[in-house]
Amino acid sequence: MNFFKTLWQEFKSCPVGAIAKWQDARFLWLVMAAASIFLILVAHSLFQNYVFMKPCEQCVYIRFAFLCMAIGGLIAAINPKNVALKIIGYAFGFWGIIQGILYSIKLNAIHHAAHSDDPFGVQGCSAEPSFPLGLPLDVWAPDWFKPTGDCGFDSPIVPDGVELSGLQQWLVNYYADGWYLFPSSHSVNMAQACLFAYIVCLILLGAMFLSWIIRTIQARKN
Amino acid sequence: MLVVPFIIQHKFRFKGVVMKIPQLLAKGLALSMLVATASFGFNEGTDYIKLEKPINNADKTLIKVFSYDCPFCYKYDKAVTPGVVAKLPNGVSFKPFHLKTKGKYGIQASELFATLIIKDKDNGIQSLFDEKSQFKKAKMAYYKAYHDKKERWDSGAESFLETGLAASGISKADFEKAKEDPRVKAMISEWEQSYDVAKIQGVPAFVVNGKYLIYTQSIKSPQGMLDLVNELLAK
Repeated sequence: MNFFKTLWQEFKSCPVGAIAKWQDARFLWLVMAAASIFLILVAHSLFQNYVFMKPCEQCVYIRFAFLCMAIGGLIAAINPKNVALKIIGYAFGFWGIIQGILYSIKLNAIHHAAHSDDPFGVQGCSAEPSFPLGLPLDVWAPDWFKPTGDCGFDSPIVPDGVELSGLQQWLVNYYADGWYLFPSSHSVNMAQACLFAYIVCLILLGAMFLSWIIRTIQARKN
Repeated sequence: MLVVPFIIQHKFRFKGVVMKIPQLLAKGLALSMLVATASFGFNEGTDYIKLEKPINNADKTLIKVFSYDCPFCYKYDKAVTPGVVAKLPNGVSFKPFHLKTKGKYGIQASELFATLIIKDKDNGIQSLFDEKSQFKKAKMAYYKAYHDKKERWDSGAESFLETGLAASGISKADFEKAKEDPRVKAMISEWEQSYDVAKIQGVPAFVVNGKYLIYTQSIKSPQGMLDLVNELLAK
């Protein structure tokens, strides 16, 4: 408890200084990496494999964006005080976040069009995925990055002859109409949830980055 | 395109900028941009592109590249394509191209669809959206099964085929014989060109005169689509 009290005191007395100090340490970077990896695992191992909710094109791109953030976090965590590593960490982190935000917005538009009588204004999904830099991630790791789901739909589709455990059956029923944060009212779909997550990451990473920049500028002035 | 003038108008709500540029000038600019985009019509690069590899022998046609497992193809075929096709100018024909590389049973679907289209032709059916079209019956049955009932035909190609055969009312024996028709084989061979088109921006992919691919994203309404198709037919 005292530990958190000290942190809070640090933050209260000088927020920029506190955050600048924290982003010099490994902890926040490892949190970013761990959270990103955790979300990919939840999407892949829980929803895709356990509950048979296959990913569509934008979904695998969103996984890729989280992967970028994880890479950024891990690189910076090697030695966050090293300016080169730190910059690489921020670069991967922000690129992942911004890509993620754009993919989430696009997915939300597709989801809306797919679930309404108004199919207009969206492209839908491509025949083959195209990752940034032309990386053939769908070939290298198809179980993680190949879109096998339908464009705009993520309902569980259980193959014939599969015996579901009690928990699986419950989850399949719970998400029968697709993934929502509140399934019974169909509110907050996966795209919106991801968008919210990326915006939170943007605020946190942004605070870290700005604090570092401000402290660096102030140090130069002195 | 209409978004830009709105953004400009919104931006000018910020005091700082308003003080720099007279409001009247800003509104005039926004209005002229609105008029400009309306009068220039559709733009290459945003609303459509010219195919690097045009589709052969496709003059005076509207081609739709589609797949039975494509949700947006289903939506368009329910609410948009029939209306647009009905209003095409005389002499322009509608040609569906089924993409065999998409979906677990893409190849089987292509075989059945091509066979039924030729059958429709032999039976004198004028439009592939006619209630009596066997192609349409099979196509809608597959759409409904896949998208509405989430059917995946896990037991194999036989069960997949059964859905289309039952809906269109032809027997398996009849189908096996009819698909050997050289015209069916020629159509399936012609549909190979679908792959390169679908690679560009997925399906549904609408191609006019075999040369111009419409960016599905740019379609805002059935009338808008018809206007674009007519403009491209004239090029």
